[in-house]
Parts: sequence; structure tokens; C-alpha cells
Amino acid sequence: MTQTIQTTRDDHLIAWFTALAITIHIAESALPSPLPGVKPGLANVVTLIVLCRYGWRMAVWVALLRVLIGSVLLGTFLSPTFFLSLSGALAGVTALGLGWAVSRAVPGWALGPLGLGLLAALAHMTGQFWTAYVLFIPHPALLHLFPPLMTLAAVLGIVSGVLTRSVLARLNSDPSASMVKKK
Amino acid sequence: MKHWLTKGDWLVLIATLLLVPSLYAAYWHGSGQGLEARVWVDGKPWARLDLFHVQHLDVPGVLGVSHLEIGNGQVRFTDSPCQNRQCIHTGWLSEGGDVAACLPNRVSVQIMADDPRFDSINF
Repeated sequence: MTQTIQTTRDDHLIAWFTALAITIHIAESALPSPLPGVKPGLANVVTLIVLCRYGWRMAVWVALLRVLIGSVLLGTFLSPTFFLSLSGALAGVTALGLGWAVSRAVPGWALGPLGLGLLAALAHMTGQFWTAYVLFIPHPALLHLFPPLMTLAAVLGIVSGVLTRSVLARLNSDPSASMVKKK
Repeated sequence: MKHWLTKGDWLVLIATLLLVPSLYAAYWHGSGQGLEARVWVDGKPWARLDLFHVQHLDVPGVLGVSHLEIGNGQVRFTDSPCQNRQCIHTGWLSEGGDVAACLPNRVSVQIMADDPRFDSINF
């Protein structure tokens, strides 16, 4: 007896976007980083695009699957890097969830890609830093790194917001980019 | 997508601009202005100085006399009978935990504060 799993349109979208995010995630991991925990976070642009086009639930799937599968492919699964990455992603999607909820509840104060990107980047860094501090290096001297890291996070968050906005503008203006065919 | 930034974006942006400098204020503070300095000679406490009492002090060290200038919440070496004048180049000290020392002359000065920046320093 064969069983087939019914997949929905959303499943396919999640899979495609996750694949795209993982590709960026891995490409980015090859870049040298000046400080541990500092990455351009371009994979988060994919999360932001999914959020703006398909909502928060899909964005959470893409963000968390990206961290999970990305770490398996890079060989960092269950290593400190993985937990830093995971806690960052969890904090990021939580912040995006709050931002998204506010945007829906109070449309006058809705956040655009830039606000969401900035919010997510700051939350991401905070979550990551908290994990690093509590789990790995519980030394007060580490706290001195927090302000400069948050400064970088803010800058990179704005950059990812700007990128997201320009990608979204292209997707929205391109009729062939409607729904599933995103390539 | 009409505008670059929505009202909500501005709110987040302004909140960030307030948050980031306040983080520097919160985590990068020194231990504050010291009120008192201690002088050691040859490993023994030699004097406690009020940093706001303007004075010039001659400290008899192992090699000779080191001169200290104190006042306005600061202290510095102005002269010392050593070769490379490390202690003088250290300049003014004012924050809790700051140290200047003339090792050849065995004279050192440290600013005291409630919350010293360092527990101890080894050279």
C-alpha cells in the first residue's frame, strides 16, 4: 500500500524559499567575519520577503528550516554556532511576529520592509548575544561587545530592509512573478 | 510600497537611534570619577590623596624623587628619575581603577572608586 502525502501550495512555497535562503546562508558562511556573530544576514532578506508576501506563519517556517538544514549542511548542527544561529532566528521571528501583529492591528502604523528588517536584526542580535552570554561565555566583559554589535545589527538590518524593499518592488511590478513562479 | 518609509518604520528607526547610544551609555561606562588616589612606594602604601585638593607632591622612591601633580579630580606624574618616563607618558588619571607607575623608582598611583574597573593588574 502506498501512501502519498498531500502537499499544499504553501508547502511548495516554503520549500522553494527555504532552498533559496539556505543557498544564501551557505554562500555567506564562506565570507570571513570580523567578529563572531557578525554576518550580513542576507538570508534574512528571504525571510522578510516571505513575510511581506505570504505572512508570518510562512516566514517562521522558512527562517527555522533554513537554520536547521543550513547547519546540517555546514556541519554545525548542535554546535555552539547552531544554537547561536537558532536563538537569533527565534528572537528574529518573534520580533517579526510582534511587528506583523501591530501592522495588522493598527494599519496606520504598519511597518514596511525597513522597519521589519531593522526590528528583526536587532532582535536577532539580542537573542544571539543573550545565548552567547548565558550559555557560553558568562563573563561581564562580554557585555562590552553588546553596544558595537547592536550598532552593526542596526546598520545591517537597515541594509536588509532596503534590499527587501527593492526585491519586493520588482516582484510586485513583474506580472510573471505572481504566486508560485518566483524565478 | 508608495513611500520608502512608513510611519511605523520611522518609529522603529527613531527607537533604534535612541536605543543604540543608550546601550553604549549602559555598557561602556567607566567606573566614574574617582575621589581619592593612593600612592605606593616600594610596595607599601605611602599616601592617600584627595584628588580635588590642588598640590604638588614629592614622593621619595628607591632611585630618587618622583613628582606628582594633583588637582581638579586628576593626578599625574610630572617627573621621575627613570629612563623612559613611562609614568609621565601615562598622563592624567581620573577614572576609578586608573593606574600609573614608575617601576624603576617603585612608585605607583592608583585612583580609588566604589566600583573599580579592574580588580588587579599584573605587569
